[in-house]
Amino acid sequence: MSGSSRSTLSPADRVQVALRDFRDIAADPKRALKNESGPITAELLREPGRFGLGQRVGDQQPAATAASVCGFCSTGCGLTVSLDASGEAIGLSPRTQYPVNLGMACPKGWEALEVLAADDRATRPLLREGDALRPVDWDTALDAFCDGFQRVQNRHGLDSVAFLSTGQIATEEMALLGTVAKFGMGLVHGDGNTRQCMATAVTAYKQSFGFDAPPYTYADFERSDALIFWGANPCLAHPIMWERVMRNPRRGRGLEIACLDPRRTETAMQATQHLPLRPKSDLVLAYGLAKLLIDRGAIDHDFVAAHTSGFERYAEHVAAFGLDLVARETELPAAMIERLADTLAQAVESGRAVSHWWTMGVNQSHEGTRLAQAIIALALMTGQIGKPGTGANSITGQCNAMGSRLFSNTTSLLGGRSFESADDRREVAGILGIDEARIPREPSLAYDQIIDGIEDGRIRGLWVIATNPAHSWIHRGRLERLRERLEFLVVQDMYDSTETARIADLVLPAAGWGEKDGTFINSERRIGRHRKVSRAPGEALADFAIFRLIADRWGCGEVAGRWTDPEAAFGLLRELSAGQPCDITGIDGYAALDSAGGIQWPFSKELAGTSASDDEITERRLFADGHFFHADGRARFICDAPTELPEPTDAAYPLTLLTGRGSASQWHTQTRTAKSAVLRKLYPSQPYVELDPRDADALGDDDGPVATGDRVAVESRRGRVEVIAHVTPTVGRGRVFLPMHDVGTNRLTHGSFDPHSRQPSYKASAVRVELVSRR
Amino acid sequence: MSTVSAPPPADRKATAAPLSVEALLRQQQTLTPVMPATDEETVNDIPAASEAASETAVETFSRHHESSGTERPLQERWYRSLLPAEPPGPGEQYAFEVDLDACSGCKACVVACHSLNGLADDEAWRDVGLLQTPPAHTPATSIDSLIELPVIQHVTTACHHCIDPGCLRGCPVDAYEKDPATGIVRHLDDQCFGCQYCTLMCPYEVPKYHAGHGIVRKCDMCSGRLAAGEAPACVQACPHEAIRIRTVSQAGVKAAAARAAVCGTSDTFALPDTPPVDQTVPTTIYRTERLDLSKLEPADLRTPRPSHAHGPLTIMLALTQIGVGGLVAAAAMWLLGTPATALPIRIAALVGFAILNAGLAAATLHLGRPHLAFRAVIGWRHSWLSREAIAFGLFMPVAAAAVAVAFSDAIAEFVGDWFLGIQSLAGPIFLSAAVAGLAAVFTSVMIYVAARKPLWTLPTTTLRFLLTTLLGAGALASVSRIAADDNAWLAVAATLLAVAAKLALDFRATVLRSAEAIAIDDHSARLLRGPLRRVVTARLALSAAGAVLLPIAAITGSVGLAAVAATLLVAGELVERWLFFTAVAGPKMPGGLPS
Repeated sequence: MSGSSRSTLSPADRVQVALRDFRDIAADPKRALKNESGPITAELLREPGRFGLGQRVGDQQPAATAASVCGFCSTGCGLTVSLDASGEAIGLSPRTQYPVNLGMACPKGWEALEVLAADDRATRPLLREGDALRPVDWDTALDAFCDGFQRVQNRHGLDSVAFLSTGQIATEEMALLGTVAKFGMGLVHGDGNTRQCMATAVTAYKQSFGFDAPPYTYADFERSDALIFWGANPCLAHPIMWERVMRNPRRGRGLEIACLDPRRTETAMQATQHLPLRPKSDLVLAYGLAKLLIDRGAIDHDFVAAHTSGFERYAEHVAAFGLDLVARETELPAAMIERLADTLAQAVESGRAVSHWWTMGVNQSHEGTRLAQAIIALALMTGQIGKPGTGANSITGQCNAMGSRLFSNTTSLLGGRSFESADDRREVAGILGIDEARIPREPSLAYDQIIDGIEDGRIRGLWVIATNPAHSWIHRGRLERLRERLEFLVVQDMYDSTETARIADLVLPAAGWGEKDGTFINSERRIGRHRKVSRAPGEALADFAIFRLIADRWGCGEVAGRWTDPEAAFGLLRELSAGQPCDITGIDGYAALDSAGGIQWPFSKELAGTSASDDEITERRLFADGHFFHADGRARFICDAPTELPEPTDAAYPLTLLTGRGSASQWHTQTRTAKSAVLRKLYPSQPYVELDPRDADALGDDDGPVATGDRVAVESRRGRVEVIAHVTPTVGRGRVFLPMHDVGTNRLTHGSFDPHSRQPSYKASAVRVELVSRR
Repeated sequence: MSTVSAPPPADRKATAAPLSVEALLRQQQTLTPVMPATDEETVNDIPAASEAASETAVETFSRHHESSGTERPLQERWYRSLLPAEPPGPGEQYAFEVDLDACSGCKACVVACHSLNGLADDEAWRDVGLLQTPPAHTPATSIDSLIELPVIQHVTTACHHCIDPGCLRGCPVDAYEKDPATGIVRHLDDQCFGCQYCTLMCPYEVPKYHAGHGIVRKCDMCSGRLAAGEAPACVQACPHEAIRIRTVSQAGVKAAAARAAVCGTSDTFALPDTPPVDQTVPTTIYRTERLDLSKLEPADLRTPRPSHAHGPLTIMLALTQIGVGGLVAAAAMWLLGTPATALPIRIAALVGFAILNAGLAAATLHLGRPHLAFRAVIGWRHSWLSREAIAFGLFMPVAAAAVAVAFSDAIAEFVGDWFLGIQSLAGPIFLSAAVAGLAAVFTSVMIYVAARKPLWTLPTTTLRFLLTTLLGAGALASVSRIAADDNAWLAVAATLLAVAAKLALDFRATVLRSAEAIAIDDHSARLLRGPLRRVVTARLALSAAGAVLLPIAAITGSVGLAAVAATLLVAGELVERWLFFTAVAGPKMPGGLPS
């Protein structure tokens, strides 16, 4: 997608260039002294663009364009892909009218095609022979797959093989995977990397609302009078959602933006209130805010009475969280907490719209579910839900985490159903035309329990699809040790260089985003279509095709029989959604998604039929009628006593390790984003740790404090990494910060989990730092 | 533990009609044909919610749409309000305006520049740096007081389309032009021959070298887009409308720069540790209402990185000066009574001339497109690089004549005795060679002085280059006189003086300056004491070894040892010149985190 390479020309090429220049000069001698329009100038010449794209460089002029949605994060931006005459992508730009991104994209989106062309793309199946992975043909690979897993199953039981999936593939693909694995191959346990990012939100919503249902639409960013960001840095993690915040017409005219984050982040900088609370004192803060609201009577009693249950118990619970205690626990000035309470109270006292937004600072916590529910409680008690500019809103991470929440067939049965429910099993079996007995009667083990299962021998075979646990899983050193206990490990990925692919027994080469068709569901429940616009390298196949081949070769092709292609699968998803809160029966196939600019669930046949206006089709939020998904229609107030940190700091490990996103140009374990030269230059090439100046003083030696640029070691009870120090007052005393993208970071993290959601708590581990060498 | 009731897997060979891998692979490689029409056209309604938020942009768009009637870029609805209503009038030009308060640091502007302009690899004409509260800042942590919170602020930067562009002033081939109508500083890619002098002359590190083409390229504010009423790539891609185009009065910008030079701060370009605005008079406007930028520092302030070493230039500078030294030595020896064709003069002139040629050959290797070297003189009116080319061009025949004088006996044997007549011009030829050589060295000095780097001031650069010339003269004279069994002590003394003075200069640049101030912005001293310290040691060791061996050679009369000493000294000068380039650092646009 970019111009010629900047590497130096060979001498032979140089001679060619010189001859070309001399020929040009001979043709027009004036050029010897002044040459304003030669071949190098022409290379970058911009010409009027077609299709409303504006000017484009010559070789980027499209013959046609195609609409797609981005495959990195959950924002779900619309992209316009430029195609050459053969239909191959030659470039992309953000889609001007798409209701999500309104013509903008973050660096990752702009470079989405570039990362497809990397040298380390998996192009053939690879099978382990001793220490090496050797290329084999697909037939051999499929036999190896079936032999490997069936041998494990024959020896240890059907449920001894598990899969770890992803939020990065199409809904159609993850649903087919769940169908083939569980209904065909007899697997019981499968989970996704989505466990690492949004399991907490899922559990909190299910318990509080009766269904996993983020209630908002992105327009709420623009409609709020106050936006409260809990453990979120959308400026870097969701830059295009931040675009919507910046388009709020009240910005600079009374719009309050509160940011609750131990670190001074880009979002904290943009906030009108930044509360740099002590790490993981957030639950205490949320309870304290509830008490302040109750004490001043800023409660929407009508809403609470009509649409919720459990408020009295909740009020009793938070009564213990007085301002003094909260200020002490959070290490925040009392006035700062009171100011935030004022902002929340204005929802009731002056009718201002207040919305709450959270991401990984909440979800990746040892008590994240209760914290998410405490945020939900603040929205419920002030009546801030179902109206424009309100909501207790979880911002999801991956492009299709929301698809996985409904259709991955892991924790919940297809379509947000329950494996335990006989009715649900019967319904699904009927829709898919399979024997009901094929459906397991228990939900999957969670990710961490599957890892535990490897340790205790229950799990002996593992199939990893489009995720990189050897980098990303918390306390990953343990995972490395457990590799030996797996009798068969299959990795299905775009790249054969990932930390996980390198230790696999079998690598299946997958087509990536842009090389296949399907749909994603974004954070605001919008279903968007992504398209095949590029040819996959070598023998790489779409995950959808791989799952079909596996079903066929395994001998369970009949369960995948109706899953002939992605759009047919989408039809099945529609059938599976009928009558569920996520009903999408009104979406009339892919073309309808294209013409509507994505459609949010629910979109039932009834809604589609009742003359919904274009605006209603474009933007919808849940709970406008105050009716929640529990049988009694009421939302629940849920609380628990705050618990101790799983690994508090002590004399040996006195610093709290925070982890998180490093920049808007990096995505997770960077198997993709590291493949773009222009993205690589937008973040430091070496891993670094943020260190408070006062801690840097204490860690210094005779030559003075640790300074920016010095090499330091960060060490936890589980591992040690050497990184470059970045001494900055933004991280806070007693805390250090490591970006999650470096492969060393999760050597350090402490493997602890929220007991309700089983989501790992990446955000607080005890570490120590020492000076290794000076710059 | 299993409660699974699924039947065991069937024999997979039994499947009736297995899926064909080949068919799926073929299908994978088949792209869906797309009708040649934009899908954008199918979604014409902007959602109601965002309509409320961006009325201005939408209104502006519809107004423009009505008036033009032609197919306009769809994206225009978002950027129309970010462009000036009118093109610049007389005395005005376009300028970037950056709203720092709106920038969130996503860096989409960099990638959009790269992508929409079809640039290579990691090439982009926009960069984003970081300002932050200095680490010395210690926020109050008492929970009774409000915390004074630290600041991080990203700064997006491209070409500042200066009123007095350093790139344009320095360019020896006139590959830059400042558009009289728009003020945009454009680079003529095919005119460039890749000397990269503009990368030193621009204090904002804007022109970037493209090795594949052997030229530099830079931001042209997407001039073609602006001419068509479209926004530059960065402007149309910023999700937060933090970059816009303004028209500014050139006189106003100049007056503001002059005021800033007096009072020390600029209203519109108040970024800390950036070059003084009166150097090139940048037009970009950086606005903030929430920050006191003077309290911030660039994230890379304390970790300066060594600059590009420019290998061929390192060789060129050291060798041309040592070569000139050979001809100076010849002239000096002649003045002091050595016959014009005596062995010491022959050796000094010939070896000096050879070294000079080697140095100039290295200079052409520095060019990305050496076949266009003839263009070097075009910019003589303003470019010291052109003047250097001319000065060395004029010096070379004179230097050759000096060599011819020294070898006139030998040459006469071939061409006839008439050639011996040249000996009567020995004085004027030797002296003009020395003077022309020194003049050429002076043009070299000015090339670097013009770049206005703290390490490259007029006095120190002049001293540095002249002392290298003196060292070359002394060393070549020493070797040649020892070879001829003549008294070499004056030559040795001159060499040692030059070495001592140079080491003193280096000592001042590293140890003394850091010790006396440890000024945080003394980047060169930090580099020399930090990442470059081993190179500094190597330079010291080479020069000291040469300085010790040379007198021993003079005492023992060993030509071999003298040659070794001279080689060590020349090597020491090469390393010194390498440091001259790598340790240069000065105010610049803010960089990013250390890596």
